[in-house]
Amino acid sequence: MSARWLGERVPRLEDTKLLTGRALFTDDVDLPGMLHAAFLRSDDAHGVLRSVDVEAARRRPGVVAVWTAADLGEYWKPGPALVPPPPIAGLVFNSATQVPLAREKVRHVGEPLALVVAVSRYVAEDALDDIVVDVEPLLAVTDLEAALAPGAPRVHEALGGNVAARARQSKGDYAAARGRAHKVIARRFRYDRGAAAAIENRGVVAAWDAKTEELTVWDTTQAPIPIRNGLAAMLGLGESQVRVVAPFIGGGFGPKIMMFYPEEVLIPWAAMRLGRPVKWIEDRQENFYATTQERLQIHDAELAVAKDGTILGVKDRFLFDTGAYDPYGLTIPINSQCTLLGPYAVPNYDSEFTAVFTNRPIVTPVRGAGRQHGVFVMERLLDLAAKELGMDRVEIRRRNFLPPDAFPHDHQILFQDFAPLTYDSGDYGPAMDRAVDAIGYERFLREEQPALRRAGRHVGLGIVSYIEGTGIGPYEGARVTIEPSGSVRVATGVGTQGQGHFTTFAQLVSDVLGMDPSKVQVITGDTREFGWGTGTFASRGAVVAGNAVHEAAIRVRKKVLKLASEVLGVDAGELFLECGSVHVKGAPERSLRLGDLARKANPLRGGVAPGTEPGLEATAYFGPERGNAANGVHAMIVEVDPETCEVRIRRYVVVHDCGTVINPTVVEGQVQGGVAMGIGNAFYEQLVWDENGQLMNASFMDYLLPTALDVPAVEMRHTVTPSPLNPLGAKGVGEAGAIPAAAAFAQAVEDALEGEIEVLEIPLSPNRLFDLLGSRSRP
Amino acid sequence: MIVQGEYTFPGTREAIWELLLDPAVIARTMPGTEEMVRVAPDRYEGRMRVGVGAITAAEFTVSVQLADVVPPERYTMQIDGRGRFGFTRGTAQVRLAADGAGTVMRFEADLQVGGKIAAVGQRLLDSVSKLMTRQGLESLSKEVNRRLASADPGSRSPNPGSLP
Amino acid sequence: MSVQAGHVVSLTVNGSPATRTVEPRLLLSDFLRHELGLTGTHVGCEHGVCGACTVLLDGEAVRSCLLFAVQADGHAVETVEGLAAGGELHPIQAAFHETHALQCGFCTPGFLMTLVPYLREHPTPTEQEIREALSGNLCRCTGYKNIVDAVALAARRGAAAGRQGAEAAPARRAGSGAARRGAA
Repeated sequence: MSARWLGERVPRLEDTKLLTGRALFTDDVDLPGMLHAAFLRSDDAHGVLRSVDVEAARRRPGVVAVWTAADLGEYWKPGPALVPPPPIAGLVFNSATQVPLAREKVRHVGEPLALVVAVSRYVAEDALDDIVVDVEPLLAVTDLEAALAPGAPRVHEALGGNVAARARQSKGDYAAARGRAHKVIARRFRYDRGAAAAIENRGVVAAWDAKTEELTVWDTTQAPIPIRNGLAAMLGLGESQVRVVAPFIGGGFGPKIMMFYPEEVLIPWAAMRLGRPVKWIEDRQENFYATTQERLQIHDAELAVAKDGTILGVKDRFLFDTGAYDPYGLTIPINSQCTLLGPYAVPNYDSEFTAVFTNRPIVTPVRGAGRQHGVFVMERLLDLAAKELGMDRVEIRRRNFLPPDAFPHDHQILFQDFAPLTYDSGDYGPAMDRAVDAIGYERFLREEQPALRRAGRHVGLGIVSYIEGTGIGPYEGARVTIEPSGSVRVATGVGTQGQGHFTTFAQLVSDVLGMDPSKVQVITGDTREFGWGTGTFASRGAVVAGNAVHEAAIRVRKKVLKLASEVLGVDAGELFLECGSVHVKGAPERSLRLGDLARKANPLRGGVAPGTEPGLEATAYFGPERGNAANGVHAMIVEVDPETCEVRIRRYVVVHDCGTVINPTVVEGQVQGGVAMGIGNAFYEQLVWDENGQLMNASFMDYLLPTALDVPAVEMRHTVTPSPLNPLGAKGVGEAGAIPAAAAFAQAVEDALEGEIEVLEIPLSPNRLFDLLGSRSRP
Repeated sequence: MIVQGEYTFPGTREAIWELLLDPAVIARTMPGTEEMVRVAPDRYEGRMRVGVGAITAAEFTVSVQLADVVPPERYTMQIDGRGRFGFTRGTAQVRLAADGAGTVMRFEADLQVGGKIAAVGQRLLDSVSKLMTRQGLESLSKEVNRRLASADPGSRSPNPGSLP
Repeated sequence: MSVQAGHVVSLTVNGSPATRTVEPRLLLSDFLRHELGLTGTHVGCEHGVCGACTVLLDGEAVRSCLLFAVQADGHAVETVEGLAAGGELHPIQAAFHETHALQCGFCTPGFLMTLVPYLREHPTPTEQEIREALSGNLCRCTGYKNIVDAVALAARRGAAAGRQGAEAAPARRAGSGAARRGAA
């Protein structure tokens, strides 16, 4: 079996369609008789919903239907709790999930109040203005600490307060460790994240064919199969009656794996009721309220260290804003809790978080999914400890790395996949060495920085290391089929939002079947093509679906060899696959094209031996027993202008280890893109909510995404520590670029300003930096 | 959003008090007011049209509830404005103090703004509210002078330049 | 699709004439995508910031989400569907493919249409100039590096083709740009 394509920079097979504007995105779906939907959304963050009067809207010409919660009848019910809480001892968990249309109460700005369906989106939006809403405003719950104070307004009356969850995980004895410590570093950290802001907003198109009794739904979802299963159950249909297609999707980044959004639940229902296709496409302003996002965590953390910088223990108490509902459970705070440990040996750990309900939109994972927060806290604590101990910041990290013989390493706390957090493999020293070398650490600190400082310039360096838990279960599947034409068709249940599955999966199959990737057609995200799986999230596509694809191809290869050996009358050991044919070693004239073999494998007449399967096709599933641990180091050099407080990134280096790499170009693209999001998070992006739960920057004019002027070219190196948990040895990389950027940024800015301020919060906009510089005590 | 300030009018507190609470005067002087009706001794309802940057002429239905009324000294207004572009609500306090031959009006309002106007118009809210306040006060001042002139054509107003 | 009184719009799109009756408030982006079925132009923000909806109007890059279809009456519009000629990718499309300058591809048509007139007018840009030219288009996937590389690659090839005497400047440039500037 050749390994010709694994690790090759194969140019992407899906590019031509995308470049020529012929790729189908959800809003491109156009069906005869299609109607258009718009949602009326709450302007109030918290209030008693007295009435929603839609009579005038119903009378508007061009309006076909208007529904409120009351009109949904039995179909109205809160959405499913998607992620159950892990079995942590002493866990407090209050589940409250979103509703299709608000009833009795509104709990966040943007919560849907009514659905209008009309002949065009323009008319539907006109009709929104006809609707009269009577809301009695209530005080909004917005500040995390105030939300927990007695007497605070309650987002959910039935609960005694605003605690969505409380979970404590610990190992060892932190109190004892603290008692032995040479120094204890304690700080409050604030880490605020924002919107995923994919350039494509969400959308749902649904069409019900009354003759065939089939429902087809196009959805910008990262999880078409669970959506299909859930919709079938909700609508009283069989799973085979529902087809969900996630076509080309303009960026996922996490919020598109939130499931059973109100719109996803209502548009198919409306299409069935009206007997006409219905389309809903989110506009950008809606996206800021109606699509999930991440927000603030506040950590009161402390690090106990020995005199030589060895970590004795960490204690962390943090608050997590979950928004008005918590359908996604505790994925984000558990990730924060676990990722804080990083690549370090932490013998004693005591971490407790409180998830808080607030009157803001739901929080669900955005690229990184809470790992950022853990990395920020730990890396900042180490930096502060290094300063207090007079140690080099790279040295303190090296001293605490888990050594290469420590694997598998069980951290004894639970990860988001409910299994104990266990690192499968890793070798952190070499990654740090490569980063130190690539950024020119020694030379910068000894020569360049002092020289620039003498010239009045404020330059600084940040270098941080991190672990990213990836490739979690439960499972994915794939089917590989050799067609009579000789090309190969691969179908898998995950969707694709730009991460190159059409190419990387083709590469995997090409190696196994000895053909060119351009002959391998990959189909993703269509439940009619493949109906078992969970979706793209948590950096698991290549690992889990990739391994399923690989295994299915191996099974097809076995069938090929078995049949070819019968047809050619030769032992299977004498055969090899190359260029789309089966060849006999040493007899070049004796070969069979795979397509012809596929035809032979599917006879129209005659008998077959018992147990024979027709064709050259196989399906395989892969489910890792637990996630694996990718790792990396980010290093950056910045320059701060103390007058304008602009921060310019002069260099950015990433050393990453995602195990076996299928396509280096794709991996580098993921890292570069992730770093861009990390830079946005660190410096430009913040959702600004006022104390009344109003969002004050719901447009790209005021919510700033980094542009080509803000993101440098990332210099990349990689190390390879294969994962023993899957045959390919792969680890995930989708979120790696985004996770540690803010921690590196904070360290670099602090260094540039020569410790005049401590950076304990993110984002750090020029305004905020100005405030911090202004409020420091002057000599 | 805090809106506050003070303004000196010619005339007695009683005269200014009457003007401030006259719905016809409010309709004429508050920028963007299309209609204002006193539906009860302590309650007004009306319609306004206000432009904030890219959102031109957003329509609002507005209600004003008076409280703590102590003529001619002070009153509090509970303001509630709602339209398709959002809402604004809050309280405002108005106090009148005699100042020689004139009256000093001090006002302070704490307004919450929500909906689309708040989401895309943040940068402009401050300047728009200042502009509206200034325009309103200037119109009110003209109104005051007009009334004084018609009540006593022979007397001179403290602001000779502002005769209509 | 529309309910308001109609206005007749006649224009050429990618060289072909098109006439439709539309509401005055119909955006050019919606007109191209839904009236003409040219869905290659994408809508990302509808307030002129992300650039995904960029098309050419008389040869100049414009945001189709900030124009009404009626404003294009009598003009020439070019979209991404018109770039590849006779089955061959336009040089900028080919460059994007070679440098992996697209991931999800949603912002890509907007970048391409921004770059076509840009490279015509700036055949030898520096990296900083390229980044400035791209700063009006948002991409959330790529982090821009490969897009910058694609532009540099296309520029180098265009310059090389020019040196060899091949036709570097397309005929459509003649007159259209100047006319627009004169009208501004």
